[in-house]
Amino acid sequence: MTRYTELQLDALGELANIGSGTAGTALSTLIGRPVDISVPHVRALPVEEAVAAAGDADREVRATLVPITRDLQGSALIVFPPQDAAALCRMLGTDPEGEDGASALAEIGNILCSSYLVALGEMLSMEIEPCPPETAWDMLGAIVATVLLGQGEADDVLLMDSELLVEGESIGLEFMLLPLGQGIGDLLERLGL
Amino acid sequence: MNAPTDIVVRMGELAVSADPRACLVTIGLGSCIGVVLVDRIRRVAGLAHVMLPQARAAQADGLPAAARGKYADLAVPALIDAMLAAGARRLGLQVALVGGAKMFGAGSGSLDVGARNEAAVRDALTAARLRVRAAATGGAKGRTVRAEVGSGQVLVRMAQRADEVIMQGAA
Repeated sequence: MTRYTELQLDALGELANIGSGTAGTALSTLIGRPVDISVPHVRALPVEEAVAAAGDADREVRATLVPITRDLQGSALIVFPPQDAAALCRMLGTDPEGEDGASALAEIGNILCSSYLVALGEMLSMEIEPCPPETAWDMLGAIVATVLLGQGEADDVLLMDSELLVEGESIGLEFMLLPLGQGIGDLLERLGL
Repeated sequence: MNAPTDIVVRMGELAVSADPRACLVTIGLGSCIGVVLVDRIRRVAGLAHVMLPQARAAQADGLPAAARGKYADLAVPALIDAMLAAGARRLGLQVALVGGAKMFGAGSGSLDVGARNEAAVRDALTAARLRVRAAATGGAKGRTVRAEVGSGQVLVRMAQRADEVIMQGAA
């Protein structure tokens, strides 16, 4: 059972669309290549199902976590298949296996998340701020579950995910916005929903 | 011998099996804890996938047994009951704990749910007078756990690593 109406989920989808569009432009500027963005999925699910919906639990991925604070709490999680992460690192002139590679992925996450949140904040006149990014190279299920459970118990969580594809390079990444708590209600209120 | 049958225990669930060919599996434990109980003589094993330390008051009522794995304080007694119901003896129960990692650092602003989960599970085990025989907990990496019912062996795997036996099976 979901606490959100279809109309609210559609509106959140539209926000995700604009946010990921802006993030895609930022990524494109960073790497100097065109970036395609998928239509975002927005789902409200219990934590257990959200983790399953995020993908195969034992798929090994590289990820950048950007916690979000001020008027909206939660996290943004940017998930890279390892070979795509490596290709991006090389594109930025860093060693994918080394410290530099990890900081490149942290920085990509930071840039994507900042541009996404700035777009959201401007639209809603909300102060939404990213915290410093962290990276992990681990099982997808462990990452998503830990992020979702890290903020205490929630009945339903919102999973707003978009895919970004670098044109002609077969490099893809997934951007998940995981807002939590009271901020979601405030956000919907500002949309008049 | 037939190939083992995997019984996947998802988040918040618990399962017990007395089928010697079965293997209880939980994939991708981060801050969650996999609580494994094994009776090697009777060949019964159980696994609970604990997500959070404590149930809120009133949550316990009406929660089906299989869904009691979610909270440490409910999961431990429910798992013990299910083991005994499946033919295990209380004195034969051996415990292994897996998970409870802190995958992201202090900067994430998140509570260390992994450590709190482990503490709550250990408290519940102490209350039930069970001692932990093997543990692969804490650290920063996710884990997958497999408990083989027939042998009682418990295996743990981390990303980019091979399986590691944390509790030996019967000789």
